[in-house]
Amino acid sequence: MHLLLIEDSIRLQNSVGRGLRKAGYTVDVTGDGEEGLWLAQSNRYDVIILDLMLPGIDGLTLLRRLRAKHNGTHVLILTAKDTLEDRVAGLQTGGDDYLIKPFAFEELLARVQALCRRSYQRKNPKIEIGDLEIDTAARLVRRKGKPIDLTAREFMLLEYLALRRGHVVSRTEIEAHIYSDSTEVMSNVVDSAVCLLRKKITLPGTAPTIQTRRGMGYILESARK
Amino acid sequence: MSSIQRRLTAALAALCCVLWFGGGVAAYLTMRHGLIREFDNAHVTDINSLSNMTEQNQAGLKFDSTGEYMPAFRREERPDYFQLWETDGTVLYRSSALEGDLPQRAGTLAVPKFWDVTLPDGEKGRAVGVRFVPNEDDEILRPPGAPPLTKEVILVAAFHGQELDQRLHYIGMVLLLGGLGMAAAAIVAVGFIVRRGLRPLSTVADRAAAIDASSLQLRFPTENLPAELLPIATRLNDLLARLESSFARERRFSADVAHELRTPIAELRALAEVALKWPEDRQATQHALQDALAIALQMETVATGLMALARCEGNLLTVRPERVAIPALIQDVLTPLTARASDKQLDITLDLPKEACWYTDAAALRSIVANLLTNAIDYSPAASPIRVRLCKNGAGEELSIINQNVYLAPEDLPHLFERFWRKDPARSSQLNSGLGLALAKAYAQSLGMKLQAGLNHAEIVFTLSGATACNDANG
Repeated sequence: MHLLLIEDSIRLQNSVGRGLRKAGYTVDVTGDGEEGLWLAQSNRYDVIILDLMLPGIDGLTLLRRLRAKHNGTHVLILTAKDTLEDRVAGLQTGGDDYLIKPFAFEELLARVQALCRRSYQRKNPKIEIGDLEIDTAARLVRRKGKPIDLTAREFMLLEYLALRRGHVVSRTEIEAHIYSDSTEVMSNVVDSAVCLLRKKITLPGTAPTIQTRRGMGYILESARK
Repeated sequence: MSSIQRRLTAALAALCCVLWFGGGVAAYLTMRHGLIREFDNAHVTDINSLSNMTEQNQAGLKFDSTGEYMPAFRREERPDYFQLWETDGTVLYRSSALEGDLPQRAGTLAVPKFWDVTLPDGEKGRAVGVRFVPNEDDEILRPPGAPPLTKEVILVAAFHGQELDQRLHYIGMVLLLGGLGMAAAAIVAVGFIVRRGLRPLSTVADRAAAIDASSLQLRFPTENLPAELLPIATRLNDLLARLESSFARERRFSADVAHELRTPIAELRALAEVALKWPEDRQATQHALQDALAIALQMETVATGLMALARCEGNLLTVRPERVAIPALIQDVLTPLTARASDKQLDITLDLPKEACWYTDAAALRSIVANLLTNAIDYSPAASPIRVRLCKNGAGEELSIINQNVYLAPEDLPHLFERFWRKDPARSSQLNSGLGLALAKAYAQSLGMKLQAGLNHAEIVFTLSGATACNDANG
């Protein structure tokens, strides 16, 4: 999942950005409204976390311009502005969620997860594909009821493939959603990651669920015996 | 509830009724007087005729009753009466219908005496009495050399006044009914006029009722307002403008406080939660702790500034005046700032008389000067001049700190000394807490001085004035 954090407090950029990355998200960070708008229009993010009081252009103006360009990316407004008028204005301008500072990091994470699910038209945090169960809220994966230990990035890759189950996902899309701009993406990093993930979720006696479509990408679907 | 409209209507209606009643009574009395006078004058002729019928000769007095004297005294129904006396009270003659005596009062023929009387038949009437010397009988000649006859008689005639009473009654009724009708009309008319006259007041009251904390942008209309209400509306509009400005300042302050306090708390909480959730990353945890310390120091600065402001505003700041050498104090403040100024290649010029000395609290003055000089260094563009100048201004001295301005517009000046005000709406800068200038102004006020800011072309000038010079303090 690819997130954009637009927040002018360097300390919040560092701590929230680090927390979200640790949770497996790919996070782009900026502290400037103009740059935030440019990034939001130039990339396809799953969720944008937006502060309102920003240098350059303020958060509400950024959101208004984004919606005027028919950009439907889910936006979570994260601000110290707590009045009813502020909250109403934020949501009416096009915000999908509103969280007031100070906030619990777990709550921010849960709201980001919920918005990510909404990005793929899913309401249930649990995804079941055959005997493979993925709990996106608890960040747990089971195959035939047996827990599988995945790194945050592997989980993110599996979650992304699962959210787009039945569809072929290209390497470019995986790079864009799983690897941050700041990460040097090696030419075969996606293939290696998928290969490793496939091994982990394929138990003895079960068929692989991640299929390679040569020249196109990968598809996650129920295992065919 | 007391109402001006009701009170005015009642008072004016009562006044109209009293005036109308008084006018009615006056008119009635005037008409009554005129009618009675007319009635009396009409009967003066009768008295003159009766006096002409009275004659005297050497033999005595006689009344010529043989002639056809006035029929009014002889009619059978409601006759008039007259009676003639000699001065000793002997009745000389009575009209045919009179059985008793009429009351005896008398004026002269030139000025007869008139009065109200109850007639022998019980009805009310008017009487007229005269005392006169009857003419001498033409037929009996007075002997030659005899003196003229001067025996006097008293004649009283009484007339029925029914017609007069009826006319007076009619006039009275007309005035009474007309008065009642006019009073009713006056109440209605006064109510309408007062309501119409007070309509501008109602308009102002309606507008006042519509104004609350959320609609302070409304103003009282001043067009077509009566001259009596214009100053009130103007003053209220001024008051509303000040209230609107105060509310806006309060809202801005609340929002600023929210940001100044919520943001560091949010930073601390996020730092702590993320560090606790992934404790294995020791380097990140170390960074988090360093950030937490920086946030704590920043919040300490804000808390200290707010407490100092509260002390100043509560007049709790203890001022210990002493002789303060201004050049030494400024040099003292500048020393720790020299490195910052050098980094930006700022040229700081001091234009201070060597002997400049103020009698004031050194610590508070040092805080003011330090704040102004720090701001000048932080906000001046690189390689620009900063001037510190002390000069005479009228009877006193003023200290000015002047530097190049690239941030502020004239409309920013009124907000410059507000707590937590920042030019940058994003409030991203961690350069200061937003309390420095507010605190400097509060300190200046506590010292009895005035701190002002002004723009002069491309320069911003902070001026501290109103200090007591050491020479004046000695004097």
